[in-house]
Amino acid sequence: MASAAPALIRVRGLRHTYQHGTPQAVPALHGIDLDVFPGECVAIVGGNGSGKSTLARHLNALLIPTDGDVVVDGLNTRDADAVWEVRGRVGMIFEQPDDQIVAAVVEEDVAFGCENLGVPSAEIRARVDAALRTVDLEAVRRRPPHLLSGGQKQRVAIAGVLAMRPRCLVLDEATSMLDPHGQREVMETALALCRDEGLTLVLITHAMEEAALADRIVVLAEGRVVLEGTPADVFAREDALRALRLEPPEVTQLGRRLADAGCSLPPALLTVEALVDAVAALRGGGAAVRRRPSGAGRRAGRTRPRAAGPMLRCDGVSYVYQRGTPLEAAALVDVSVEIRPGEIVGLIGASGSGKSTLAQHLNGLLRPTRGRVYLDDVDIQAKEVDRRRVHQEIGLLFQYPEHQLFEETVSQDVAFGPRNLGIDEAAIRERVDRALVQVGLDPVVFGPRSPFTLSNGEKRRAALAGLLAMEPRVLILDEPTAGLDPQGRREILDHVVRLRDARGLTIVLISHSMDAVARLCERLIVMDRGRVVADGPIREVFSDPDRLVALGLGLPQVAQCARLLRGRGLPVRRDVLTVGEARGAILDALALERAGG
Amino acid sequence: MDLLRGLSFGQYLPVDSPVHRLDPRTKILATIVLIAVVFATRSAAGLAWLTVVLGAVLLAARIPLGYALRGLRPVFWLVGIAVVFQVLFGEGGGHPLFQRGPLVITRENLDLGLFYGYRLLLLVASTSLMTFTTSPVEMTDGLERLLRPLQRVGVSTHEFALMMTIALRFIPTLVEEADKIMKAQIARGAEFSRGSPMRRAKAFLPLLVPLFIGAFRRAEALALAMEARCYRGGEHRTRMKELHFAPRDWVAGALLAAAAVVALGPARWWQ
Repeated sequence: MASAAPALIRVRGLRHTYQHGTPQAVPALHGIDLDVFPGECVAIVGGNGSGKSTLARHLNALLIPTDGDVVVDGLNTRDADAVWEVRGRVGMIFEQPDDQIVAAVVEEDVAFGCENLGVPSAEIRARVDAALRTVDLEAVRRRPPHLLSGGQKQRVAIAGVLAMRPRCLVLDEATSMLDPHGQREVMETALALCRDEGLTLVLITHAMEEAALADRIVVLAEGRVVLEGTPADVFAREDALRALRLEPPEVTQLGRRLADAGCSLPPALLTVEALVDAVAALRGGGAAVRRRPSGAGRRAGRTRPRAAGPMLRCDGVSYVYQRGTPLEAAALVDVSVEIRPGEIVGLIGASGSGKSTLAQHLNGLLRPTRGRVYLDDVDIQAKEVDRRRVHQEIGLLFQYPEHQLFEETVSQDVAFGPRNLGIDEAAIRERVDRALVQVGLDPVVFGPRSPFTLSNGEKRRAALAGLLAMEPRVLILDEPTAGLDPQGRREILDHVVRLRDARGLTIVLISHSMDAVARLCERLIVMDRGRVVADGPIREVFSDPDRLVALGLGLPQVAQCARLLRGRGLPVRRDVLTVGEARGAILDALALERAGG
Repeated sequence: MDLLRGLSFGQYLPVDSPVHRLDPRTKILATIVLIAVVFATRSAAGLAWLTVVLGAVLLAARIPLGYALRGLRPVFWLVGIAVVFQVLFGEGGGHPLFQRGPLVITRENLDLGLFYGYRLLLLVASTSLMTFTTSPVEMTDGLERLLRPLQRVGVSTHEFALMMTIALRFIPTLVEEADKIMKAQIARGAEFSRGSPMRRAKAFLPLLVPLFIGAFRRAEALALAMEARCYRGGEHRTRMKELHFAPRDWVAGALLAAAAVVALGPARWWQ
């Protein structure tokens, strides 16, 4: 690496306190030392509140140190005259794709930074053309940005920074709001810039699969650097990471567990390809493999006998958006599905496949253009049916539900639903407290607080409590983990499982995070362009991984490993969902092959 | 549901035509001239001529007649009311066509009513031609350039233009967000369309509060993103798209001037 060259960004003794010198002072960084060398890719990881975004904002002088120095390309960010120079050299991409695009036409947004720098008109045109070519968005240059996908919007933002000819690009959680396809799009674009054009890359992330692609990882916790090294070094310290509520990528965990079982694998495998190569190299080798019973069948105990009849049923539902206009588009095409009481169903599909539209039909918010939706065999769109009761019985938690919070206190917000149902105050209070407890928010502590002072994970759980207080029988969760860090994700999923077990709630989980679905669901419904293309037990659906990939769905890393190993002729079971299962399946396959050969 | 989804902003029809390719300044100035000519025309023949002119521009702009008339639909009502008012409450005298009790309809008043009504229709049609063929973004650019001389007297046209651009950029985003929040609150049992006006106004709080908070959150994020891209006001700023009058703009201007002379001319000569 380029460590012999002088650092492009030098951070020394950086401290930062928000509202410094006031009684509300919040210390965020406590003495950070960091060097970023030209052309390298550094990942800065840490949970929410670790200070990583604050650090990012120091790298291009959006914040000025309370103490210590940040020097970019020889320019100290404290020097007020150098601020614009610094920001021109270090470009920044933020988390929210929508909130960083200024202009109403793609190419004009890409030009915005250059215009601010005072670049002559003809030169801007040339730079914008080149930048759009680099991120492969020439085809949409005259579109309004709101018609683009999330991944495309982030690429527009990257192009806007590139046109300013920076030396370093900082991605501040730039993929956390995107679907798997968009995440890949953005990461591939950024990494290609680093590898091919020598652009220095700083990834601020909580996605360990992304960090694994960096040259170097810096782990932050509570405003301090706690671990630093190559991805292999950092991920080898699994216990230290877990103590920080982080964990190595699945594939690294799988490699470690296979090694523990006696396979002679290189330490810290970082990518699916690396693991597949390493395992393939084992074949025919004589390593003694200690076998333990694999995890197969362990899940069988979790499925419970249940009443046979469906509770919620869609029968031939079609839906057309903006009927009768030139923008008419079929969102659902002849969809028939059944939801049975007490089950956890995953509803998966690429963005735009119709998942959210289907969800809004299931609770009566949208009226089918054709077909019917039945709850307990009653058509929920029938005239005599009280729609409000349908909304109450089938709770729908929208994406980013924290954006619907509006009351002064958490308790009042949670009480909004039951109050609309006309329940008396004493019963409401009881329901509110119960709902808050169910999502792990102490009513005494959180009840009187303003919802806007909560952390993102807490806000989302408060919004969930708002639905629970209506005491629904079915809960439909639309991407409940989107944009949360691993800790927040785990918390909300744990609560969902507990709700099912404790209250017998029926749950429909809409997600493009295959990991979440694999952890929770027993049955999967797969959608593609408005149609249901698969519906069955999760193992059955996952046993055709090629099809899922073709539908634009990301497989969990361990499932990818199993699929690729099968491609190399190793007889690994098709339906592996977790690290434990993958370990068992690979060991079984290796043993089988050895016995056979 | 989907109350807000159908809402389109402006009536811009993105097709490629000689009219669409004109400089937005040309179209803004031409519209102003057209409005003045429509007002100044005193003869029915003049209005008929202007109708032909507008029709020709419509044809050149490749705007389907049906689309254009649909856009004028709300105006027909207004025109109808104007005609009725003129006919019923116009000045006395003239040749009565119809008489019952105090109600007298004269030929002069009917003529005048139709004339005024038709003129109103032409006014709206002229401005619609501009909005059909000029995207809101171009319109903003054009306005900024036309108003630039005002900078010397302390009007910050750059900030005005940027404000318009950001508004245009975020209207669809906020409409989508409003739609989503509305649905989310309905899913929590809220009702937006029942009860007394007071109750209804109160029912909108669960929509408006999150919408405003969201807008402020976006504003803050956008401001940060703009700063990160070196935005520091209008000074030293250049533009990628500089507007230039092309030969076709001069041709269009000349044609308009000729049409205006014909529209106004005969009225004087023939009187």
